[in-house]
This record gives sequence, structure tokens and C-alpha cells, in this order.
Amino acid sequence: MFDEEAYRKLFVEESRENHENIVNNLLALENGDDQQTAIDEIFRSAHTLKGMSASMGFDAMEHLCHSMEDVFSLIRSGRREVTASLTDLLLTCTDAIEEMLDAIEAGGVPSDEQSGSLVHELRAFAEEGEPVDQKASCDADPEPAGEGDGHPVYTLTVAVDPSSTMKDVRAMLLLQNLEEIGTILSTVPSRELLEDGKFDGPFEILIESEAGEDALRTIASGTEISLLDLSFAQSVPAVIPVMTGDAQPPGQIPEPQVQRAVKAEKNREIKNIRVDIQRLDRMMNLVEDLVINRGRLEQIAKRHGIKEFDEALNMIGRSVSDLQNLMMGIRMMPLERIFNRLPRVVRDVANHDGKEVEFFIEGGETELDRGMMDGLTDPLLHIIRNAVNHGIETPEVRAASGKPPKGSLRLTARRDKDNVIIEIEDDGAGIDPEILRKKAVSKGLMTPEAAANATKDELVGLLFEPGFSTAETVTDISGRGVGLDVVKKTIESLKGTIKVETESGRGTKFELVLPPTMAIIDVMMVHINGMRCAIPISNVVEVAQTRMEAIHRIGNTEAILLRDQTLPLHRLEEMFGRAEMSETLVVLQNNDRRCCIAVDTVDGQQEVVVKPLSRIAGNCRGISGITIPGDGDVVPVLDVNTMV
Amino acid sequence: MGRILIVDDTMFMRTLLKNILFSGGHDIVGEAADGVEALARYQELKPDLVTMDIVMPKVNGIEALKAIKAADPSAKIIMCTAVGQEQMVKLAVKSGAKGYIVKPFQAPKVLEEVKNVLSA
Repeated sequence: MFDEEAYRKLFVEESRENHENIVNNLLALENGDDQQTAIDEIFRSAHTLKGMSASMGFDAMEHLCHSMEDVFSLIRSGRREVTASLTDLLLTCTDAIEEMLDAIEAGGVPSDEQSGSLVHELRAFAEEGEPVDQKASCDADPEPAGEGDGHPVYTLTVAVDPSSTMKDVRAMLLLQNLEEIGTILSTVPSRELLEDGKFDGPFEILIESEAGEDALRTIASGTEISLLDLSFAQSVPAVIPVMTGDAQPPGQIPEPQVQRAVKAEKNREIKNIRVDIQRLDRMMNLVEDLVINRGRLEQIAKRHGIKEFDEALNMIGRSVSDLQNLMMGIRMMPLERIFNRLPRVVRDVANHDGKEVEFFIEGGETELDRGMMDGLTDPLLHIIRNAVNHGIETPEVRAASGKPPKGSLRLTARRDKDNVIIEIEDDGAGIDPEILRKKAVSKGLMTPEAAANATKDELVGLLFEPGFSTAETVTDISGRGVGLDVVKKTIESLKGTIKVETESGRGTKFELVLPPTMAIIDVMMVHINGMRCAIPISNVVEVAQTRMEAIHRIGNTEAILLRDQTLPLHRLEEMFGRAEMSETLVVLQNNDRRCCIAVDTVDGQQEVVVKPLSRIAGNCRGISGITIPGDGDVVPVLDVNTMV
Repeated sequence: MGRILIVDDTMFMRTLLKNILFSGGHDIVGEAADGVEALARYQELKPDLVTMDIVMPKVNGIEALKAIKAADPSAKIIMCTAVGQEQMVKLAVKSGAKGYIVKPFQAPKVLEEVKNVLSA
């Protein structure tokens, strides 16, 4: 009936919000938080999902959500209780919904395969031992009506369209509308049966009204209603049993609700709109172009020195800066977006391993550039799974070592100056450095002597080495062939760092430090062999002068001795060509490891917009992106990670 | 053709309904995402007709209906409902709803109901 593609995106987006709401409230239910609110919220979201999926023609999803809604309808009315097995079943349903949403987002249509058995299980739960108060609530009792007071009386024969979805409501609407222009004296079948939908075929209404035939005809030919016959009835029966219903007179409306509604409206001033992320990216690109061209204009202006022009350019400059800051702000998203998924993960892993874990989240409101959000999800998932899987002990083990049986896992985020810091801390077993020491030798990462002399920090640092995993057995939860080395690489690709602190028997803490955005960074501009390039300032330790004599050859590489430290020296010849050796060095650092590169000149420090290399150029080792400073030149940004 | 206020908590449903109503030549004067907003927008816009979702956060459709009817007894409100919600719709009708449309919406039925309620 409509072009579903046009709605698909909106559908997926809002469905995901509702899906997340269901999951979080299921977990809240399990934690014994405010039960009624959680049940209401789940019911509401399931209902919304049902309606939306039905509109899109996604029957499998509609059926599943419908069954969930039914179950929660029973729970809401107190006829069923939330049990642990039901929670599991419902969470499995939410997984199925998520899969369906993935399929829908990818342009497909979810099938019944995934959900059929779940629907059966939900129905079985809803049906088993159905209590008796199922009788349709009929709150109106028959009572005698007043006698006709002399107005004309008509008999209407009316039929409700058999295809009507709610013929009882149709009948009820009709009777109610008729009552506005007259008094219903009787109906056949009785009004009670009509309003319960217990009728087939046409029915008769005896009504006393002075509104005239035309008015009656209009009302009796509404939606899904057809008037088969209208006749003038001669006599007014003395006393006719009539149902009056209990419609509230329009004036008597509960006052507090109105007031509440008005009061809440006063507080509601923030208006949000949704914007497609791609549009936002395009806009960001345009703003970046503006920044670049402003720089070019400034350089041109400098050459000509026209006062008026400079003034105008100044104004533009300020606007562009404001625009840029605004744009950066718009791209920021609260970390909650990814944090909200984690309680579910903790629960599943803990249940699977027979562990008890209390999970705390703080600082979910801390904001990060949305471009970094996606990349952060997998590392966080990995660390969280690890913490529950390997870190926190079983309740028995914990009790034996004098800890509370329930482990605690704390995820905190905060903004610290220019960085966003995310910490994941557990109070589990920690990591024993002695085990690391043995493993370092057995994996061939250290010689026995080196291992014996290694400090704790060095040993813990091994956790991030490829293929180094401390778990004795690989489980199906944490051990998916992805190690902490991948986590580290991912965080570094986001220009962040990761650190781990561990205390055997006390717990482990991971600390991720991330820049809030990757698009604009401070760089040091240098010339290498006559070519310009930019180095992220976060990687620069210092600029040093050296003499040729200080350079030593060690094997194939060169190194220099700088204040008692031996640093490998890179000339980047494969990137910039062979050059005369200059005596200016830039010392670079990445994760406590240092090296230095030789440069011709250091030109200065500058805030630039980093653009990724285009897909045409592909990945280029040593270059993390390009930037275009004011003069319109294209300058590569060095990727220090690959050098140190 | 009427000036219509659409109340539903999802933008998806609002968009869907908006397009159906628009195709029928109606003028969508406003949208609201919950019952609280519905009352405020009603008072501000005084539309000819309101389509009201039932299940919504904060103040649900029935309560919003009652509040609007209290503010303006002549308000014409159509409930947006789904199979299985008969009891809720009946409650709404008793509280003054003038009609109902069933999800998934079928454009001809929606337009017919809107037309009938507007002309009543």
C-alpha cells in the first residue's frame, strides 16, 4: 500500500530504540527495580514494535512482538509473574528481534524461521492455567429507562461491515452517536451483547428522537456501518429495558490529569530533530573545506594588505570557527549509546559462568565523536566479557577468599581536559605476574633471564602481545580468537591509548584514554627532504639537535644516544627519498616506546583538519591521513604507530 | 478537508499517517509524541480532528483524550488502535472518542473514517 523503502530507515531506528528499552527494562525487572514501571515500559515498547512491524508487513516480527505484548498484558494485570525462565525466554526474543532488525536494515524481510518457536513458547506461557477472570468486563448493568416523552420513535435496522476489525466498537460508537441526538429505547440483540460483539448480521435499534430522519440516516451510515432500514414506529412502549451505558458526561473529567498535562508542558522546551548521519558527515566535510579555504584566503590577504578585506575576512573567520565548534558539538554523542548494551552482556556472561556480578555504569553522559563510537564498541565488549569471564571468580571462590560473593564490575567514563577516559574495573582475581612470567618464556616472548628480571609493568604489558592469553581454556564467551592485542590496535586506530593495572587477588583495571574527536588535531609541521608533513602533537616528545658523530649503526638500523637513552633513528627514506643528513631530530613516542626521525626543519604547530585517505589511494602504511593547511598544499599526516 | 493533529509516540507511525491523510487532501497542522504534548498542541492549534495513539509514554492516549475533551467537549478524536485493544478503545469511546482506525493502517479506511467523523 505504500513505498516501504521510504520508511525502512525510520522504522529500523525507532525499532532499535524500543528494542533497547525492552532489554533494559527486562534487566531492571530482574534486578528488582521499580517493577510496575518496567512492566509498563516493556508492554508499551512491545506494542509499539508490533504496530510498526505490522505496518511494514514484517509478519514474523509482528507475531513475535504481539506474543510478547500478550504475555506482558497478563503480567500487567497480575495474572502472571515474571520468572527467571520467562526472563530468559524474553531476552531470547529480544535477540531474535535484533536479528530481524539487522536483516531489515540490510534490506531483507525477516522470516518466521527464527521466531516461530519463540511465539509458541510465549503462547504456551500465556495459556497455561488461564485463570477464570477472563470474562469480558461488562461494567454496565441493565436498568430501566425513562418513558418516552412524546418525541417520534424510529426503528433502525443496521449492519456492521463483516470485515470490520472491531465490530463491537463500531456498534458501540454507533449507539453512542445516536444517543447524542435521541434516546435509545431498546436494541435487538441487547446493547450488552452488541457492545461485546456477540452478534451476527444486522441488528435493530428503537430510538426516540426529534432530530429527524436525515440526521439519523447520516449517523447510521458511518464507517463500516450501513443502514438497511429506517421506519417510523407508532407507539411508545410504556417501559422498555434499555442499557444506558456509563459514558461520562463530557464535563466530568478528572481535573488533576489536565493540570498535570499543562504543568509538564511548561518544562518541555527542548526540541529535538533527527538528522541522517551521512548528512551530518557531508556537512562536516563542507565545514572542513570552509576552514581550509579560510586559511587560503588569509594567506592571499596577507600578500595584498587591503584593510577592508582583512576586516571582512576576520568576520568570516570568526563565523567559520563558531560553525566548526558547533559542528563538532553536534557530532558528539553520549557514551550511553554503547554503554546501554553492556548490562545485557554482563548478565549473559555471568549466567553462563555461574557468577554473580553487580555492574555499575557511571558517566554515560560523557560525549564522544560519533565517528569513534562504532570503533569503541568491540573493544569495550571484549574487556567487559573478559572481566566477567576471567576476572571475577565464582561465588564459592570469592567467599573462600573473604570477598563478598557478588563481584563488582564498574564502568566509568569522564572528561579530563582534552581526553575522554573510560575505566573498566573489576574486583576479581587479578592477574598473577608469576603466571605471566612463565607464560612469557613458554611462548618464546622473553628469554628465561629477561623474564626473571622483568618488572611487573613489563609483564602486564605482554597481555597486549598477539597470541598472549592468560586463560587456561578458551571459552565460547571471551575466547573468540580475538585477543587484547586487537583491542589495543583498535584503540590506537582511534588515536587512543590503553593501560592495564592488575593486583593479584584484588582485581584488574583497564584505562582507555581517547581524544573526544579525531577530525581536528594539533600537529607539528615539519619538512623532511624538502617535503612537508605533519606529525600529531600527541606523539611528539621533543625536538633535539644532534651531531653526526652521535649516530651509531646497530645492525641494519641507526640509533642515537640522547641523554643516556638509545633511540632508534628513522630517516623515512622509503617515504621521502634519500637526503643529506640533517642534524634536527624529532623524538616521537607511542605507548612508552620512543624513536626519532630526522627532519630538515620544524615549521611550527598548527590545528588542522585530518581527512582520511580516499578509497582510491587505499591504505598507505606510515600515513594516517592528509591535511590541507592554509596555502592549499596537501600534506600527509604521519602515522607514528607504525614507526615506533 | 480538515485540519488534523496527529498524536503518536513514533515518528514512523506519524509519518505513515501523515502521508495517508495528506493524500486525502487533509492539512496536517501538527504532531505530538505523547499525551502531554497532545493537550498542549490541541489548545494551541485547535484542530478539526485529532488522531490519537493509545499506548504512549507519560500520559497515554485515553488520558490525553479525556484531558482534551475536558478542555473542549466538542473535540473530535479518532483513536489509533490495534487488534487486541478492544477494551481500551471502548473505554476511549465511552470517554468521547468519535471513531477509531486499526493498525496496520489501510489508507481507504483511514480516510473514510476521518471523513465521516469530520462531517458528523
